[in-house]
Amino acid sequence: MKESVIRLLLFDFFEGKTTSIQRKMIEEWLTEEPNQELFYRYLDEWESERPQFGPDKETALESFRSVLAGADKTDAYTPETEQERPLRKRQWLWLAAVISLVAVGLAFQKQILYKSLDSGPGKRVTHRLSEGTEVLLNANSRLLVPRFTFLGNAREVFLDGEAQFKVTHTRNNDRFVVKMGDRYRIEVLGTEFVAFSRARGKRVFLKEGKVKLGLPEGRQIYMKPGNLFVSGKNGSYKMTAPADTRPYTAWKEQTFYFNNTLLSDVALQISEQFGMQVRIADTLLAQRRIGGIYKADQVDDLLQILSELMQIEVIQKEDHIELAIPKP
Amino acid sequence: MTAFPLNPLEEDFPGQHPENRDHAKSEAIVPDDEWLLRRQFAEDPEKGCELLFRRYYVNLCNHTIRFVHSREVAEDIVSEIFTTFWQNQTYRQVTTSYRAYLYKSVRHRAYNYLKWQVRFQHSAEEPVHLSESPSPHEVLQYSELHQKIELIIRELPAQCRRAYILKRVEGKKYDEIAQEMKISAKAVEALVSRALSRLRKELSAHWVLFIMLFFC
Repeated sequence: MKESVIRLLLFDFFEGKTTSIQRKMIEEWLTEEPNQELFYRYLDEWESERPQFGPDKETALESFRSVLAGADKTDAYTPETEQERPLRKRQWLWLAAVISLVAVGLAFQKQILYKSLDSGPGKRVTHRLSEGTEVLLNANSRLLVPRFTFLGNAREVFLDGEAQFKVTHTRNNDRFVVKMGDRYRIEVLGTEFVAFSRARGKRVFLKEGKVKLGLPEGRQIYMKPGNLFVSGKNGSYKMTAPADTRPYTAWKEQTFYFNNTLLSDVALQISEQFGMQVRIADTLLAQRRIGGIYKADQVDDLLQILSELMQIEVIQKEDHIELAIPKP
Repeated sequence: MTAFPLNPLEEDFPGQHPENRDHAKSEAIVPDDEWLLRRQFAEDPEKGCELLFRRYYVNLCNHTIRFVHSREVAEDIVSEIFTTFWQNQTYRQVTTSYRAYLYKSVRHRAYNYLKWQVRFQHSAEEPVHLSESPSPHEVLQYSELHQKIELIIRELPAQCRRAYILKRVEGKKYDEIAQEMKISAKAVEALVSRALSRLRKELSAHWVLFIMLFFC
């Protein structure tokens, strides 16, 4: 079988997309020993293109280095004794001790290395990083920033939510990196942009300067000022230059910008901004549209406006808010 | 259509393949890419281990979490594999590529963890035996196992899945999740345990077949 074909076939298999006949084919292919090597090579390649989370490699490497340094060669096991059964249990216990030690180290080091900045529901927070970058964190968002700048990762942050960055240009041209999860990353030298990273996707709006965007499949694209990047399904994306940029920056003034916007979208935005579930049971109501610019510091302000403007009823339930058409 | 779709991420853009799609295609693999690593091990095993760690740690963690659904457990398993690799001087005995050995090991270890977690007839004290060359069928079954787990989780009710992910994958505390989901801590606990028991039940069913094929 051609290598490019088997690569595609294996990738499909890892995704669980192969037919049972194809699976049989792979199984037969695997009976040849060298092909098992190839299998793991492609597995590794597949994994590197589909990250699940951002393991803290540097911290883990530090722990591993101490293992490397502290390992007493005379204590290292000899293959002969290991084969004897009575030792198995002791060895297992010993292993467990090592694991828990490593685990404790890892768990604490993470908290030590990164500081978490959280903005509560409906609240925005400004923060100045040690290297000068200004961050305006939108409501209901979290930013992880390095605690110690001397470790060389001073310009790397993790964003879950939405924020505007005013990145300072450093003298030695260090890159500033925003990791947004799902392997989306923004790389810049000095610029101003708004990043959005929530459950429904990723969005980047560039105001000034130039940024490099790293996409999940390892591709990289460059953005120009005024460009808007929106992630789509399965790694697709859309790059536009919107004439009106207010929808992407309105949150900075605690305002909501609606332009013929679906009520279901409005509900989603309220959830994101205030961390409050808003549901619309009536599908016809969900499809109604609204326009205008509304200032709202609290969720109740906006709901009040909506209720008066659209003649709808706002019902406070135990764990969510429901929008409904009032019964006559 | 709204002029500014505020929720454009949900949209399905037909045929949206931007022009710069092929901007940076992933390059082809290099034949025998571990040759340098091997030489490093021959010269200085400690440096070799460090290099190996740098090269594979992240990918192995990403692979392991597919099985164990917990960042911490995944990172522990992978770190532990590297630790024993060094301490037992396994690098002297490996006949395959380091990559194949490491992947086989973490898959096996993740599988054992899962087995222990689902408490399906085997105890964790059972000797951890890694067959040197798993049969093609076994090799494929590991991949099918993590796909199955993904499927089970994906089919959970939304609230249940959310609580499970926050608890297991993100490792948050019950009251933190309760706050985030605007429900009581008790309710979160119930959701998580419902998810776990579903996982346990479906995996056990899957497992009867799995283990039969695996160990017979």
